[in-house]
Amino acid sequence: MTEAVQNYETLKTDVASAAKAHNEPQWLVDHRVAAIDDLVDLGFPNMQRFQYSDWTLTPTDEPLEFKDSDKSLADSVPFADDRIQFVQAGQTTVAVNLPDDLKQQGVILTDLFTALHDHAELVEKYLFREIKLGEDRLTSYHAAYLNSGLFLYVPKGVVIDKPIEAYLIQDSTRKQPMVSHVLIVADNDSKFSYIQHMATVGDVANAASAAVEMVAKPNSEVHFSSLDELGENTTSYLKRRANIGDNATVDWAIGLMNDGKTVGDFDSELIGKSSKADSKVIAVTSGEQREGINNRVTNHGKRSTGFILQRGVLLKKSELVFNGIGDIIHGASGANAEQENRVLMMSNEAHGDANPILLIDENDVLAGHAASVGQVDQEQMYYLMSRGIARPTAQRMVIRGFLSAVIGAVPLPEVRQQMIDILERKLEDGQQLE
Amino acid sequence: MATLEIKDLHVEVEDEEKQTKREILTGVNLSMKTGEIHAIMGPNGTGKSTLSQTIMGQPAYHVTKGDILLNGESIIKMPVDERARKGLFLGMQYPAEIQGVTNAEFLRAAMNARRPQDNQISVMAFLKELDKNLELLDMSQEMTERYLNEGFSGGEKKRNEILQLLMIKPSFALLDEIDSGLDIDALKVVSKGVNSLRGDDFGSLIITHYQRLLNYIVPDVVHVMMGGRIVKTGDADLAQKLEDEGYAGLRDELGLDVNLVDED
Repeated sequence: MTEAVQNYETLKTDVASAAKAHNEPQWLVDHRVAAIDDLVDLGFPNMQRFQYSDWTLTPTDEPLEFKDSDKSLADSVPFADDRIQFVQAGQTTVAVNLPDDLKQQGVILTDLFTALHDHAELVEKYLFREIKLGEDRLTSYHAAYLNSGLFLYVPKGVVIDKPIEAYLIQDSTRKQPMVSHVLIVADNDSKFSYIQHMATVGDVANAASAAVEMVAKPNSEVHFSSLDELGENTTSYLKRRANIGDNATVDWAIGLMNDGKTVGDFDSELIGKSSKADSKVIAVTSGEQREGINNRVTNHGKRSTGFILQRGVLLKKSELVFNGIGDIIHGASGANAEQENRVLMMSNEAHGDANPILLIDENDVLAGHAASVGQVDQEQMYYLMSRGIARPTAQRMVIRGFLSAVIGAVPLPEVRQQMIDILERKLEDGQQLE
Repeated sequence: MATLEIKDLHVEVEDEEKQTKREILTGVNLSMKTGEIHAIMGPNGTGKSTLSQTIMGQPAYHVTKGDILLNGESIIKMPVDERARKGLFLGMQYPAEIQGVTNAEFLRAAMNARRPQDNQISVMAFLKELDKNLELLDMSQEMTERYLNEGFSGGEKKRNEILQLLMIKPSFALLDEIDSGLDIDALKVVSKGVNSLRGDDFGSLIITHYQRLLNYIVPDVVHVMMGGRIVKTGDADLAQKLEDEGYAGLRDELGLDVNLVDED
């Protein structure tokens, strides 16, 4: 025990000196150090019917280090001048493209650590305010070992018609965890779409701790979509949380196409009156992959509305657990919480679960849920096959339809097509060994 | 010339919920070839749809006796997609809706499914064919970019079945109550589509309750089904006679012991 505490004291000293050498503000250094204290005490977040406590998600034996990555890791990113884009490979920001008119309106899109200096007050006001100290071991590790990320700020009343694209590339050409933090602030009455594509280059086994922390202020509207495509040798923890203010709306369309072990913990905090969240997640698991997702919408505000939709497809010997958590807090009168969780089993050896969890502490509310664990719809299969389409192709078409709630919500046709291509590849691969 | 022969066909249907089996077809005999249009009429619950679904291979229907031959080859053990590629098409009463797959993409997949891998249809040839058929059926381009049957009205679904028929050009089209839920204009359009395929390389088996459709698609042969088998075969005049006299009249004339579902 003494030895363990001493180790943690060493970790604190190491992290503090690395952060200081990185010219970080004192408050962030202190936050990192406090987070290490939490690491000692707290456990992994609870995930019903999913066991992952033996995963290497908090590799404290790997020090906090700031190292550049080769920019060529981002060569596959379709960079274009007329788009709003942010590209980061490892910890190296490869490119940022923000049109001048948006800059003039006060929009900020930059590397998180640059923002700590250039927009110190704003970042201090919002960073780690939603994803706080004292929650669990995974968020604590994340705060202590943060090593990359971006800051997006959209000022009051600014409406952006093109999607803001972020490409976050995990550098697994070397041993180093990806601890990435995306901070998004949508100020009052702003409106935009943000689309994030995470991928891995390299085969080195690494942990990834990737968070999105979002504040959607009153009357704002944020459409978030993601294509998560981390590699087979990456063990990942994805944390996404939004604080949603009065009359604000946040939509999540999350396409989980990771090839490795993944635990996802998604929160929509409906703080404001008449706030809305629509949290959609699709996932495809294959091989011996294991994936557990908590998708939680918490209704605090009166007349707040939360929807959860989760759809998953399981191939081979994979495991996928969807927990949909609808939590209505006392006082949230007139709240609405609906959810639907469905998984398709494409193999007898796969293990899938779809658990609706409703926690309701208020009388005047609407709540409902649907869940299923099943096979491909036989009527749809019959229809497609009656036109001569062979069974494997028909199956892939039906599955794509099953997952279309998220695919259809991706605002860029190119990313939508990438998602479809990845899906097809995974399904074809999974079907061959049936 | 292609042939379709149904020989002493007995079919059971499984009710999965009740775990029971019920015999619906009790010995159907029918033989047709391309160049011919056959109509099957009959009261509700007599097995007309069962016949078409069994020919196509719907897995809930089990052949307990008899055979179905396409060009002399038994198809009852073939999977549905293979039957389709060999030339069968079923225009369904209740087409499935499939999100995420556009109508156009589906049509191309269906056309390519019957072509060899090294001779897939080109985009240009596909679009040309598609435009021609859309015009024939008075359908908008926009219909092809929508997801397959999703949110289509009853009439749009039926038109879409005929669009598929025109694109795929099977040897035999089984059309199951393609007229149900259609107003007179839509009925004319659907009939125009089917008639445009008439010729030596196309045959159709049209299932209908009502004679009305047969004013627009005039059949060469009319069969009447009752109690799970064909009880009378004639020419187009037979349909007119049924329209005038009803099924009960024919039943009594033939001295059959069959319950008509809609009869109290």
